[in-house]
Amino acid sequence: MAAADDATFASTDDLDETEQEAVQDLLFRLADDELVLAERYTEWQVRAPTLESDISMANIAQDELGHARLWYEVLKDFGHDETDLIWERDADDFRHSTLVEQPFAEGDWADAIVRAYLYDVAEDIQLHALENSTFEPIRDRVGKVLGEEDYHLEYATNWLERLAADDEGRENVQDAVDRLYPYALTLFEPTDEEVEATIVERGLRGEDLVELRDTWHDRVSDFLESIGIEVPGLDLPDQYDVHISPDELPEHLGRDGDHTDHWESLLDEMTEAYDELGRDYATHIMDDDE
Amino acid sequence: MIWEVFRQNQAGDYHTHCGNVHAPDREMALLFAEVQHGRRKPTNSLWVVPQEEIGEVDTEDAKFGGTTNKSYRFARTYNVEPAAEEVEASEKELTEAERKRGEA
Amino acid sequence: MNVEETKARASPREFSPKDDLPEEYRKAATRMLEFHANSEIMGAYLERPFIRKAPSLERKMAFSAKVQDEIGHGQLLYRAAESLGVKTRDEMLDDLAEGKGKFLNCFHYPLESWVETPMIAFFVDGAAMRRQATLKKSSWEPYAHAMDKICFEEGFHVKHGESILGELMNGSKKEQEMTQEAFDKWWPRILQFFGPTDDQSSHHDFAADVGLKVMTNDELRNAFLNTYLPKAKKYGLEIPDEPRIRENDDGTYDVVEDDLDWDEFFTIAKNDYEPGVGQIEGRKHAQDAVEWVRNALDEQEAIAAGGQSPQAAD
Repeated sequence: MAAADDATFASTDDLDETEQEAVQDLLFRLADDELVLAERYTEWQVRAPTLESDISMANIAQDELGHARLWYEVLKDFGHDETDLIWERDADDFRHSTLVEQPFAEGDWADAIVRAYLYDVAEDIQLHALENSTFEPIRDRVGKVLGEEDYHLEYATNWLERLAADDEGRENVQDAVDRLYPYALTLFEPTDEEVEATIVERGLRGEDLVELRDTWHDRVSDFLESIGIEVPGLDLPDQYDVHISPDELPEHLGRDGDHTDHWESLLDEMTEAYDELGRDYATHIMDDDE
Repeated sequence: MIWEVFRQNQAGDYHTHCGNVHAPDREMALLFAEVQHGRRKPTNSLWVVPQEEIGEVDTEDAKFGGTTNKSYRFARTYNVEPAAEEVEASEKELTEAERKRGEA
Repeated sequence: MNVEETKARASPREFSPKDDLPEEYRKAATRMLEFHANSEIMGAYLERPFIRKAPSLERKMAFSAKVQDEIGHGQLLYRAAESLGVKTRDEMLDDLAEGKGKFLNCFHYPLESWVETPMIAFFVDGAAMRRQATLKKSSWEPYAHAMDKICFEEGFHVKHGESILGELMNGSKKEQEMTQEAFDKWWPRILQFFGPTDDQSSHHDFAADVGLKVMTNDELRNAFLNTYLPKAKKYGLEIPDEPRIRENDDGTYDVVEDDLDWDEFFTIAKNDYEPGVGQIEGRKHAQDAVEWVRNALDEQEAIAAGGQSPQAAD
């Protein structure tokens, strides 16, 4: 977008009201996805198939929590603090995709790996589209986050190759793909149509959601098909509209604040101790990142 | 064939990499290593491993310990005095490791 | 080597897998290491729910890192145990799942509230670290090497636990009261961490004679109380009147053993204590649920080793 090229926003002060809303929405998408995905990943701690895979999955969870922390920190520049960003926020104010909030069936390691893969490819594509964001605090943080994503992708693809080489494993992977694929599509849904338009117009993100989704779909289906996993086709309307046909999407998109019931019960568990203690603050133990 | 050689100074120490030898098989590798790498430095034991059996990942491929702030893994981050000497010793080691990571 | 020769040679880091050690040594070392490794796993099992419940993002990260470390310690210790040639890691993990594997008394109790977490993360970990620091001098070299790495990491755990305790005891009145209640409940269990006084301990003599252990339970309990009793008081915790603890003139402590529930302790030691049984079964359930993944990995391993690959004939 030509207009975006010469506009760059060094801080929140440089944003007008519309832009402020757009940047915050963009950050909530990023931060909430990472937080909730990580929260689900931690369920595998002490439950993963082997001790080594337990330790490595825990690491990925911590990476994602760290990414959430980085994005929430930028949101603090808009006057938020951690209590209203996480601990006292209403469930339907969260903007994560419904992919990341789905519970794991017990022992469904294939779900964890497929979900990680679908998510990590999307994140990789999205982060690259943010490398030239006109909003500097986002642009400055992309490198740090990307630095940890290579391992995540490699981890997921290596696991998928091995699981798919085994009859039972392949079946479980296929089941997980069939079940999760519609939810993964919600990663590319807008929080709000107008806000999304601003995100693209002002160059906050280099590509629009349709472009991201198409790149994602091609990459994901090439790889999964190469290991013998079928991927649903993307039936795009002829007009190549922003939206894919609604019947491909699950009932709840997440991005618009409409979540599956799993999210509310997960958030209840997360805030249980905070509420029990009657806290009105969230403890920081680390120094702020520069 | 190349064999990597690991030497242990004395019983209880770690075996650390000290070099390699050309040899056709394990037995010959041990014979060569014994003289090439064990004749002068204090040696309690040597290991030989075929070079091709060694897998490697280095800083070109990996971001060891990650790229985002993981200071919560280090004792120094917690604002309390170490409770006991062993906690203090651990904190020293951790802080040293954290410092070296920062320099890398 | 026979037992007498082993005793004569016993010194820190003296024995490695290539030594021809008597069966008594191998079995005693395996028993110790397996107990230690199992305890890491069951401790992690207890703490895992608090990754989710942690009341701040950074506490959550720290809790995840701590549980990750504990599983890592289990990994190191099972390896050190495996290298004795008595049991494989799979056998030890299966025994733990079947309720045959033994582990620390404290990890048989349920951990239900955030205010209880420092009871494990500070006091039990502090006690464990006291013991572990001495095991760097174990005669089984792989054990000592595992201790190098474990003690390196453990300083984070103890300070993390102390930081939570400090925060709670400097928090609201409600937090302080809840924490005191948790302390009252956990304190006797923590005192039992080092087991009964030495004369009642059945395995100690041999383990000490062959250098597997270097300090007695009494010495360890004293060292722990010397440091952690004042710490508890410093944070404003009241030490319960019972079990009675007598401070001697030489700075050592006597815990009045009759004030502690040894029936419960020995029920726990047999893996018969109810909450503990549930925890063992909970872990078994989770372990069974991913058996299919381990089978898939085993198959991959066989193929990689050139065993059953369908492509092997190519």
